[in-house]
Amino acid sequence: MDARRRTGLPHPLQGLTVIELAEDPGGEYAGQLLAEMGAKVIKIEPPDGSPSRAVGPYAKGEASADTSLNFWHYNSNKLSVTLDLAAPNGLAPVMALLDRADIFICTLQPAALKALGLDFEIVTRDFPRLIVVSVTAFGLTGPWADYRSSDLVALAAGGPLNSCGYDDHTIPPIRPGGNQGYHTVASFAHIGVMLALLERQKTGLGQMLDISMHEACAVNVELANPYWFYPRVHVHRQTCRHAQPSPTQSALFRCGDGRYVYYTLIVGDQRGWQSLVAWMDAAGMAAQLTDPAFADIKYRQDHFGEIQEVVECFFLVHDSDRMYKEGQAAGLPIGVLNAPEDLFTDEHLVAREFFVTVEHEGLGPVVYPGCMYRFSAFGEVARIRAPKLGEHTDAVLSELVEQAAEKTEERVQ
Amino acid sequence: MGGTGREPGRRQGPLAGIRVTDFCWMGVGACATRLLADFGAEVIRIEDRNRLDMPRRLPIYKGEVRTYGEEDANPDPDKGGLFNNYNRNKLGVTINMRTQKGRSLADRLIASSSVVTENFAPGVMERWGLTYERLRELSPQVIFARMSGFGHSGPHAEFRSYGPVVQAVSGISHISGLPGEEPSGWGLSYMDNEAAFFNAAALLMAIYHRNATGEGAEIDVSAVEAGINLLGPILLDVAVNGRSTRGPDYPTGNRLEHPDAAPHGVYPCLGVDRWIAIAVFNETQWRGLLSVMGDPAWADDPRFASQAARFANQDALDAHVLEWTRDKDRHALMHALQGAGVAAGAVQTTEDTIDHDPQIAGRGLFFELDHPVIGEALFEGTPIKFSRTIQENWRSAPLLGEDNAHVFKSLLRVPDDEYEALVAEGVL
Repeated sequence: MDARRRTGLPHPLQGLTVIELAEDPGGEYAGQLLAEMGAKVIKIEPPDGSPSRAVGPYAKGEASADTSLNFWHYNSNKLSVTLDLAAPNGLAPVMALLDRADIFICTLQPAALKALGLDFEIVTRDFPRLIVVSVTAFGLTGPWADYRSSDLVALAAGGPLNSCGYDDHTIPPIRPGGNQGYHTVASFAHIGVMLALLERQKTGLGQMLDISMHEACAVNVELANPYWFYPRVHVHRQTCRHAQPSPTQSALFRCGDGRYVYYTLIVGDQRGWQSLVAWMDAAGMAAQLTDPAFADIKYRQDHFGEIQEVVECFFLVHDSDRMYKEGQAAGLPIGVLNAPEDLFTDEHLVAREFFVTVEHEGLGPVVYPGCMYRFSAFGEVARIRAPKLGEHTDAVLSELVEQAAEKTEERVQ
Repeated sequence: MGGTGREPGRRQGPLAGIRVTDFCWMGVGACATRLLADFGAEVIRIEDRNRLDMPRRLPIYKGEVRTYGEEDANPDPDKGGLFNNYNRNKLGVTINMRTQKGRSLADRLIASSSVVTENFAPGVMERWGLTYERLRELSPQVIFARMSGFGHSGPHAEFRSYGPVVQAVSGISHISGLPGEEPSGWGLSYMDNEAAFFNAAALLMAIYHRNATGEGAEIDVSAVEAGINLLGPILLDVAVNGRSTRGPDYPTGNRLEHPDAAPHGVYPCLGVDRWIAIAVFNETQWRGLLSVMGDPAWADDPRFASQAARFANQDALDAHVLEWTRDKDRHALMHALQGAGVAAGAVQTTEDTIDHDPQIAGRGLFFELDHPVIGEALFEGTPIKFSRTIQENWRSAPLLGEDNAHVFKSLLRVPDDEYEALVAEGVL
């Protein structure tokens, strides 16, 4: 395996400049995905900071524009430039930045764009090499284009939420944690940017990308779409397992330490069955399952409830970590439900040196997730803490002034 | 297949001219290479007649209702809807990789390709001798994308995984659910899709880099590590503040911990299992909600006098909200609330999004393609409107071995008699 974590090699997006005008995690994560592959991402913020700076949790519980962990998570490796876009001629520095940029990420919806006087048609006309990436709740066109959204609302209207929750349908569908509606649209923004960059390599031309979180969620429902495309059936949510047209057995097993493992008992799979029984038997807990009658698939299907109970008992008296590792050693696809705090010491992640540390003044090194891809050809971009509010305003704007002066000089000569 | 419009031709799009030898199967890999195929790459899927791809076997059939797991013992491999969904715009060939002749044909295909993709358990490609080193001998600038659950190094590299296992191990199941209850996690293989998107992005970055430098790459993406990146800010809360996520106060169901949104939840509507999501983040939006509610008297309660007060009293607040929503149509309510500037969304089923959603319909997200066995079917488009880049949907998924003659005879120039012999010997 040549693909491993390494430093000292070039980064695939090195040399590209991204201007980010993002008010939500969708646009911010899109910018972050480009920054971590070497692009220079300049984040434009209002003088009092991006809305994401006002969202907790905060480092050590102390709320301030520079201590939001929400902001840190989505904005590392970026430069922060504060600009008052609503001031007279407030868009002029943005245009000057776009003149030198390759990519422009913007999360403003149509009404907000209009209010600001930011017209993408003019931007794409004036900067023909620029890739404009609009990442919005519903897209720039259509009857809902200015509807408000949030992660919960996006997952609801787009469809994923309908598949998530509990067996008990008096409980509403439950939002999966972690801003996944925003993460989904950011994934597509990354893909869209790469396709547009490849197009630009061929034609020299940029373009406009209109990306909708609503649509991104609507194509991220997995089986629910083909279940409607083909048999035209609805899927119904079930506790921590696939929503299905009709109910299936529970796949969460509680273990002796109070933690859970995920395991789908499929009695129709002969090899899987033998592995399971051999494993349980070695622990002295196969009970009646070693009875030759259970060797027959039909018999197992008819006694599914009984089997499920024996398996439940087996898990219930052992620790989750042991069940995870022994089950996997037996060739069974079992997963332990890790909590975030369990991950830092996971032997596999430690061996792969997955987590990285980032230096924060006053806090020392802070553990962050490492990059999700490893390449033989690229070096890894060291993760750098998110910028303080306006940290790079002077540096970036004075560079703009210098560039403008150079341009004037060129014209004079 | 003459005259049916299914013959492979010259492709359009930014990836036109790139040939991919695609060993991917199941969900993650097929979904990742679908993106390449959509945008012009000549993706040639290699399948095994003796070990059908799971999406070919899953009983997701037009006009037949069955649950996952209720498979045919001998399914028609060309009838599976899930396979059609994942494999549009690709070519399909069959090779028996257990035969020397089969492996040698695969080598020839790789030699004529510049990208190779796979999502087998670690060790399968190595067993066929298809290491990155060997692939580079066959195709010097090759990009070799390896998509797996745990990555190709480390003590758990060979652990078996699929979406729900990745979701469990990465933590994204644990952070989803009601406080103090078992996790509700995910009702879909979210990580199959997300890992596919990240793998597609990684491939595109490697192609972009190669276009500029001539250098290929081996890529290792671990779905578990992608999942950890998707945990969101909670991971930093744990890392920086030592916060425990195993207490009785976490996770928080549909409520947020940050910011102090309230009401923020999913409320019952008219009908069976019908719901609306409502998210109120500030005073202006709260006023909007109250105006749609007709300014009820209960809202004067001091417990609801400020955003912070409402956030602190969500149980009482939610009781009022759900009393109000439960006899209303979820879509009518969504539009009324949105009209008042409140973020609200009906919990939509796929019937809603595919058949009735005017926002999606107007932007043309879903599209139709014909299939020789399945007939007309809808497909998930790409949720990106490009002003320049073309997504060319030229064909539905290949029938099993549909492109054998085209790929082996036309592209690899295998003589007719040799081709017939390979068929007869069961190599193809």
